[in-house]
Amino acid sequence: MHWGTLFDYICKGLDTSAPLAFAALGGVFSEKSGVVNIALEGGMLFSAFSIVWGSIIFHSLWLGLLFAVVIGMAFAAIHAVVTITYKVNQIISGVALNILAEGIARFLSQNIFGQETQSAMNPYSFPSYRGMNVFSLVVIPVAILSWFVLNKTVFGLRLRSVGENPEAADTLGINVTLMRYSGVLISGAMCGLSAAVLYPSRWVSGMTGGRGFIALAAMIFGRWSPIGAVLASLLFGYADAARISFASSIQIPSQFVQMFPYVLAVVVLAGVVGRSRAPAADGVPYEKGED
Amino acid sequence: MPMNAAAAAPSSGGDPAAGSVLLRMEGITKAFPGVVANDKISLELRAGEVLALVGENGAGKSTLMKILYGLYRPDSGEILVRDRTTRIAGPRDAISQGIGMVHQHFMLIPPFTVLENIVLGSETSRLGVLSYAKPRAAAAKLIELNNLHIDLGASVEHLPVGLQQQVEILKILYRGAEILIFDEPTAVLTPQESDELFKTFRQMRAQGKGIIFISHKLDEVLDIADRITVIRRGKVIRTLDRAEATKPLIAELMVGKPVILNVDNPRLPPGPAVLEVDKLGFVNAEGVAALRDVSFRVRSGEIYGIAGVEGNGQSELIRAIAYRTRISGGSVRLLGADLSGLDVRSRRELGLAHIPEDRHKFGLLLSFSLADNFILGSHYKKPFVSVLRTQVRRQIAENARRLIAQFDVRAPSEQTPAHALSGGNQQKVIIAREMSAKPRLLLANQPTRGVDVGATEFIYKQLVEAKKNGAAVLLVSADLDEVMSLSDRIGVMFKGSIIKEFERESATKEEVGFYMMGEKAR
Ligand SMILES: Nc1ncnc2c1ncn2[C@@H]1O[C@H](COP(=O)(O)OP(=O)(O)O)[C@@H](O)[C@H]1O
Ligand SMILES: [Mg+2]
Repeated sequence: MHWGTLFDYICKGLDTSAPLAFAALGGVFSEKSGVVNIALEGGMLFSAFSIVWGSIIFHSLWLGLLFAVVIGMAFAAIHAVVTITYKVNQIISGVALNILAEGIARFLSQNIFGQETQSAMNPYSFPSYRGMNVFSLVVIPVAILSWFVLNKTVFGLRLRSVGENPEAADTLGINVTLMRYSGVLISGAMCGLSAAVLYPSRWVSGMTGGRGFIALAAMIFGRWSPIGAVLASLLFGYADAARISFASSIQIPSQFVQMFPYVLAVVVLAGVVGRSRAPAADGVPYEKGED
Repeated sequence: MPMNAAAAAPSSGGDPAAGSVLLRMEGITKAFPGVVANDKISLELRAGEVLALVGENGAGKSTLMKILYGLYRPDSGEILVRDRTTRIAGPRDAISQGIGMVHQHFMLIPPFTVLENIVLGSETSRLGVLSYAKPRAAAAKLIELNNLHIDLGASVEHLPVGLQQQVEILKILYRGAEILIFDEPTAVLTPQESDELFKTFRQMRAQGKGIIFISHKLDEVLDIADRITVIRRGKVIRTLDRAEATKPLIAELMVGKPVILNVDNPRLPPGPAVLEVDKLGFVNAEGVAALRDVSFRVRSGEIYGIAGVEGNGQSELIRAIAYRTRISGGSVRLLGADLSGLDVRSRRELGLAHIPEDRHKFGLLLSFSLADNFILGSHYKKPFVSVLRTQVRRQIAENARRLIAQFDVRAPSEQTPAHALSGGNQQKVIIAREMSAKPRLLLANQPTRGVDVGATEFIYKQLVEAKKNGAAVLLVSADLDEVMSLSDRIGVMFKGSIIKEFERESATKEEVGFYMMGEKAR
């Protein structure tokens, strides 16, 4: 392999990893606060629609991105209200939101772009370098910032405490509800960022293709730590890039090749799940002791 | 704003205000659906004293303390801290009034370090970024002042229970608490750990703090308390000064009638051996030999007591007898039958009954009704199951009503879920179930842990009753007094072995205690 192609592969891999990494970071914030958010998939999809829509409305990619982040948070807010305030089962809410995201995006696309399954082309885009959307590099400072926030700040300490033992946090005067809302809303914002690196040029129905779930797998493989989640996303992202690069040169039915990242996710998870531990109160709604 | 712990801690050392009233609760009333948990309760706590709060399970002690800590809102009544009426709407208010509480169940974040647990909620920070230098110094000072022994950098989940409790104490001291509430702190401690806790109490008392201490163990109460407030069915019955308090008096005030703590426990001519344990060995998951060469037998008509500091293999021994366990050597025989490889049902069919150490995990199905709990283990047998293998509701309910009456279980009905009962009554349910199976061998593991004196008396009587009916009883208890007063023979367990056996007549508390600490014979 030439140095040139290797470098291309490195860039291409970053490009495929970045959406996973942003979403996985979102998953970390949500789950560290004690809320399982399998609606990452739906959040990514809906944000992906929003960035195209927003860019066209505001004639600016940056405003489009801001719009996508806000919409991602609004979408996550539904999950927060339903699961934190009304204590609905988090998985059920997530499944419902994933279906809802696809439905709303299709509805809006039909009404705005006149086509149900894809939007118009977004004329604004981030510069690309050797096949890589340069916004992908933003994931690195965001990961470091996430690590810092979770581990070095008062907010992070409180957020994590609520995901481990909300009753204890409550008796220390920490607002469990506020912390959990924060965690879920940050995960929504991350979905918005992931839209910037997924494919901001056009929204296509079903375009996330399970990446939200792969991001969850990366979060688990990364042991719920921001840096770990990003490294795991890189593993999955590069596996995917390898699939794309080499699919044509291998004599295997393409369906099998396409399975590769998912099989990798399953194998990796089966290998680590025993050793990796979720926050103790992850997925458990918090009920106050009395009245 | 975080409280300044460094300022709060040592300044009270000189303590000019010793004896002044720190806290007054007046006419506190709190009703839950169906019960008045606190009925016009009034009490007073002074600086530099330990006030013991005693009462049967369900008397309302925890409720009163949760009101004081702001977790429950009282229906009526007043709380005065240093003579000022205060409204305590939540833990935050309580903390800012200098009230701290060590809960019955610890309120810790297990993966966090000790220091993180201490600062949580009262962090020191600049622009939202945590700073640990000052908290570390303040905590280190508090550790030194209060006879604590904790490493601030250790993660809490790896600490033994006694040290986790110290973290809880440190947490509230760090917040500048002057009024410290301890809800049954010794229930989870070994006797040695309890002694350490009382040393800490004495140091805090000398600093002029006020301590409210809830316990079922009257010996401890008499050991540490300056005054004793007795609560029965939500009402304060009386407050005793240490000087006038005796064990029988407290017990009588608690229960409302004289309690006989010394059971009538005649020695019977022993029958044939029922349980024979021979050279039993067991290696636990960490690869440590938890049992080595354990040999003893328990005969029909006797109670064999295992004395020992907790964690010396007692739990493993009971496990090897009660459950199918991969033992590393030796044998366990019940009425001559080798138990190895037998599942629990076969063991029970042979006549085994078991009062487990952890009644919530292994003794009951907490969300099931009492009626269903009463038939666990015999649910597949005749009166409870029809020809079509369906459960016979009427028989199950009748059985439950009979046992509730016979064993004096205090419950609204047989359909009440088990979790709604107090600890003592839950234990009675288990004992009723196990005794009604007419066992040949009864394993009683910590049967009175966390149970009040009234229920304790009842449980003692049941164990003696079992022995009179010809059962062999194996009793394990961390409470040496309990082992001494119930057992016909005593085996002392140390580091996985029975290092000494006593006949009841020749055993003295000092000597048994001596072996419990692992001392070799003189
Ligand atoms: N949250 C609650 N809801 C309903 N009843 C309760 C609750 N907490 C306590 N009780 C009832 O109040 C009474 C007093 O309980 P508690 O204060 O826990 O007693 P104690 O600590 O003295 O054993 C009991 O009858 C108990 O069942
Ligand atoms: Mg209690």
